[in-house]
Amino acid sequence: MTWYDANLVLIQGTVTGLLLALSVQVPLRMGVFSFAGAGAYGIGSYGGAILVLDYEMAALPTLLLTTVGGAVVVLVLGLMIFRLNGLYLAMATVAFDLIISVVAINGGELTGGSTGRFGVITDFTMAQMFTIAGAALILVAMSELGRTGRRVNTVREDPELAASMGIRVRRYRLAAFFVSGALGACAGCLNILVRSTVSPLDIGFPLIVLALTMIIVGGSLSWKGAVIGAIIFTWLPDVLAVIGEWQELIYGIIVAIAAVLLPRGIYGMYVDGKRAVLRWRRRRSGATADVLAAEEERESDDPPPRVGELTPSEMGAQG
Amino acid sequence: MQDVLSVVSLGSIYLLFALGMSLTWGTIDILNFSHGSIFMFSTFTAYLILGSTTLPLLVVIAIGVVVGALMSLVVQVLAFEQIIKRARNKRSAEMQILIGGIGVAIIPLAIAQHHTKSNPFGLGASSFEVTTWVVGDLRITNIVSLTILVAVALWGVTALWLRRSRNGLALRAIGIDAEVASMMGVDRRRLALVTMAISGGLAGLAGVLFTFSLGAITPESGDTLLVKAFACIILGGVGSMAGVAFGAYFLAACEVWVLTQTSGSWVEAVSFGLIFLVLLVRPAGVFGRKEVRRT
Repeated sequence: MTWYDANLVLIQGTVTGLLLALSVQVPLRMGVFSFAGAGAYGIGSYGGAILVLDYEMAALPTLLLTTVGGAVVVLVLGLMIFRLNGLYLAMATVAFDLIISVVAINGGELTGGSTGRFGVITDFTMAQMFTIAGAALILVAMSELGRTGRRVNTVREDPELAASMGIRVRRYRLAAFFVSGALGACAGCLNILVRSTVSPLDIGFPLIVLALTMIIVGGSLSWKGAVIGAIIFTWLPDVLAVIGEWQELIYGIIVAIAAVLLPRGIYGMYVDGKRAVLRWRRRRSGATADVLAAEEERESDDPPPRVGELTPSEMGAQG
Repeated sequence: MQDVLSVVSLGSIYLLFALGMSLTWGTIDILNFSHGSIFMFSTFTAYLILGSTTLPLLVVIAIGVVVGALMSLVVQVLAFEQIIKRARNKRSAEMQILIGGIGVAIIPLAIAQHHTKSNPFGLGASSFEVTTWVVGDLRITNIVSLTILVAVALWGVTALWLRRSRNGLALRAIGIDAEVASMMGVDRRRLALVTMAISGGLAGLAGVLFTFSLGAITPESGDTLLVKAFACIILGGVGSMAGVAFGAYFLAACEVWVLTQTSGSWVEAVSFGLIFLVLLVRPAGVFGRKEVRRT
C-alpha cells in the first residue's frame, strides 16, 4: 500500500497516458493518421474544469459530458477532413490541436488565459478512475478480436479490397474519429479530475509528440503496445532521474532509435521474435508442426504471412 | 509602409526556412520534421563558438550553414535512409519519416535545453553591429535588409537550379517517379544527400539570420517555425517554388495584419487556421498541380 501511495501520481499519469495513446492508436489502426485525440484531450481537460468550477457539476456527469462532447467535436472534424490522406490528414489534425491550445490561451476568464484553470476538486475516486479506464481498454481490445479486428485490419491495409468486400470504409474511418475523440476527451477529463489543474502548456505540441512516442515505442497495432508505451513513458523520466542531468537526451535517443529501427514497436518486436522461435522449433520437429502453426496463427496480430515468404524447407515441413 | 516592411522581412525568414523543407518534400518526398531542430541547433553551435572567440558576420553565417548541412546529412544517413530501406511501401515510409523526424529532433533540442536551461540565446558576441537606417519614415536595420536580399536571391537560385540544371531535372524526375528516374541513370542516393545538405544549409542560414534580426531565440523556436513552414508550403502547393514564396509572404501578411488588429495572442492561430482552410478548400495549394502518383 505504501508503494501505491508513493507512486500515486505516476499511476494516475499512466492511466491518462494510456487513454491518450489509445486515442491516437485507434485511428492509426484503421489507417487514419490522426492526432485529433490530443485536441480532444484539451477539450476534455478544459471542459472538465469549466463544468466543475463554473457549473458546479459532479465528477461523473462531467466526465460523461466531456467525453461525448470531445467525441462529437472530433467526429465533426472527421466529416470535414476525411477526404484527405496520409500526411495531409495528419497535419490538418495537428493544426486542429494547436488551434485548441491557442483558443485556450485566448479564452479569457473561461479558460483562465495562460495560467489555465486550477482548484478542480471533486469527489472522484481512484476506483472510479480504474473502472472507467479499464472499461475503455476492454472495449478497445475487443475491437481487435475476431470479425471486427479482421475488418479493421483490412480497412488499414487495403481500403479498396475492404470496399469490394462490402466493408463500409468511410463509416469505419468516421468511427475512428469518434472513438478517438471520446478516448482523448476522457483522458483529458480524468487528468483534470485527479490533478485539479490545467494550463495551455499541457496541451500543446509536446502532448502530440508524447502520444505518438508512446505508440511508436510500445507498438502501433495492438492495445498491448499502447499499454507498454504508456508505462514506459510515464515511468521513464522517474527512472532516468537516477542518471541525472542528461535524462532528456537519453529519452530522445530512445525515441529516435525506436522510431527508426523498430517501426512496429516493442510489442511488434515481441510478436516477431515469438514467431521466429516458433518457426525455428517447427523446423526441428515436423511432427508437432500443425499444433504450432495453429498457435502461431493465434499469436500473430498481423495479416497472415504470404505464400511467397515461405521457404521450400518450410513448405516441406508443413506437408 | 512600416507594416509592409515587416511583412517582407518576416516573410523572408519564413521563405528561407520553408525553402529547404519544400525542396526535400517536393522532390525526394521527405517531410523533414527535424528541420526545426537543425535550424535551432546550427544557431546554437554558432552561439557556443562565439562564447570563446569573436567572429565577423560572414564566418558566423558559414558556421550555421556548415553545421546545418552536416546535421541534415547525418539525419538522412542514420534515420531516413534506414527507414526507407525497411519500409514496405511508399505510404508507410512517408509516415515513418514524419515520426522519425520528430523523434530525431528531440536529441538536439534536449542538448540545447540542457545547456541553456530553456532560456533564450543570441549571437550578440559577434563583431557584427546591428545598425538602423532611416529612409523617409521607414526604419530598416542592415540585418533585415540582408535577410530579405539573401532570401530572395537564394529562392531565385534554387528555382533556376531546379528548372535549368541537369541535377535539377533529375531531382524533379525523382519527385514524379523515382523508379523510372533511376532507370534513366539518376543516382537517387547521391541526389538525396545533396538535396538534404542544401536543405540543412538553408536551415542553418535561416537560423543565424533570424537570430541576428530578432536578438535571441529559444531552443523551442524551431517547433513553431516548423508548423508555419508547413503552412507556407501547402498554401502554395507542395513542390512549387513559386508556391512556397507566395505562401511565405502571404502567411507573413496575414500574421502582421492580425497583429495590428488584435492584441497579438491570436497570431499563432493564423498559420494553423490557414493550414486547415487550405486543406479543406484546395488541398493541392494555390500553385499546386494535381499530384502525380502511380502505384
